[in-house]
Amino acid sequence: MSVTTSSTLDAKGSPMWSSGHGHDVISTKTLGFWLYMLSDAMMFTALFAAYAVLGHAFNAAGGPWVRAVAHAGVAFQETYWLFGSVLAYGLAMMALKKGNRGGVLLGIAAALVIALGFLAVDGREVLDLFRMGALPERSGFLSAFFTLVFYHGLHVVVGIAWMAVMLVQVASVGLTEKVVYRLLNLRLFWHFQAVMWVFMFTFLYLRGAIV
Amino acid sequence: MTHTTDNAWEHPEVQLAGGGYIVAFVVGLALMGLSLWMVRGHVFAPTGLAVAISALAAVAAFVQCVLLLHMTVSRTQVWQTVALVLFIPLFVITIGLTSWMFHGLYRRTMMMPATHVARPATPTRPRGA
Repeated sequence: MSVTTSSTLDAKGSPMWSSGHGHDVISTKTLGFWLYMLSDAMMFTALFAAYAVLGHAFNAAGGPWVRAVAHAGVAFQETYWLFGSVLAYGLAMMALKKGNRGGVLLGIAAALVIALGFLAVDGREVLDLFRMGALPERSGFLSAFFTLVFYHGLHVVVGIAWMAVMLVQVASVGLTEKVVYRLLNLRLFWHFQAVMWVFMFTFLYLRGAIV
Repeated sequence: MTHTTDNAWEHPEVQLAGGGYIVAFVVGLALMGLSLWMVRGHVFAPTGLAVAISALAAVAAFVQCVLLLHMTVSRTQVWQTVALVLFIPLFVITIGLTSWMFHGLYRRTMMMPATHVARPATPTRPRGA
C-alpha cells in the first residue's frame, strides 16, 4: 500500500500535468467567478437581514406597510418571466454543448427578450408604488424593501447588458476558449438570480399576504 | 482521452448542461405556485404558513442549486459545492441571528407600537387639579 501511495504522490503523474497545460483556464476562472457570486450572495444576505429587522410594523412609521406594497400576484408574474429567461439561457448552454453557434445566439437572444419582460413588470410595479406615495424615503420599512427590489433589479439589468455583449462576441469571434468561459460565468450569474428570486418571492412578496 | 483546446465547448464544464434545466424550470415554477396558492387560500394559520413557504423555498433553492448550478460532488464541481456548503451557514446565521436579536429587542422595548402612534400626546390630568 505504502509503495503505491508514494508513486501516486508524484505531481507530474497527476492528470493536470499530463493534460498538456499546467492549469485549466476554464475551470479556474469558473471557480473564481463562483466565489465572487457567493460574496454577492452575502450582500443579499445583509439586505435580507436588514429587511427582517425593518419589516416590523412600527418601522412603517404610519405609512404603507408590507400588505400594501408587496403584491404576490405581480411577483408570481415576475417569477415566470425570470425562470423562463433562465430556462432560455439553459437551452443556449445545451446548444453550446454541441458547438452549435446559431443555437447559442438564439437561446441568449430569447433569454434577453424574456428578461426585458421581467424588467417591464418589475418597473411598472415600482412606478405604481411610487405613484401611491410608497417612496423609499417614506419609512425604514420602505427603504429596506426598495433596496432589495432595486438590488435584484440591478442584477437583471447587468445580466441583460452582459447577454447583449455575449451576443456580439459569439457572433463576431465565435466559440473560442475566452468566449466559452464568459458564457459559463454568465450562466452562473444568471442561474444564481433564479435562486435569489426564490427567496425574494417567498420572504419579500408572499410575506405581505401572511402578516 | 485528449483535452483539446481547439473546441473549447468540449470542456467538461460545458458538457454539464442538460435537460435538468427544463426540470428545474417546471419544479421551480410549480413550487412557487404552490406557495402562492397556500398563502392566497390561507390553508394554515400564519405561523404554519410561514414555515410551509420557507420549507418550499428551501426545496426550490436546493433543486435549482443541483440542476441549474450543478452543485454536485463530481470531480469538476466538488470545490464549487464545498464553497456553497460553507456559505449556507453564513446565510442562515446572519439573517437568523439578526432578526432573532432585533425581534427580542422590539418585544422588550416597544410593547404597544400602535397606541404609541395613535394616542394624542396630551397628558391626561384629573379635573380640578
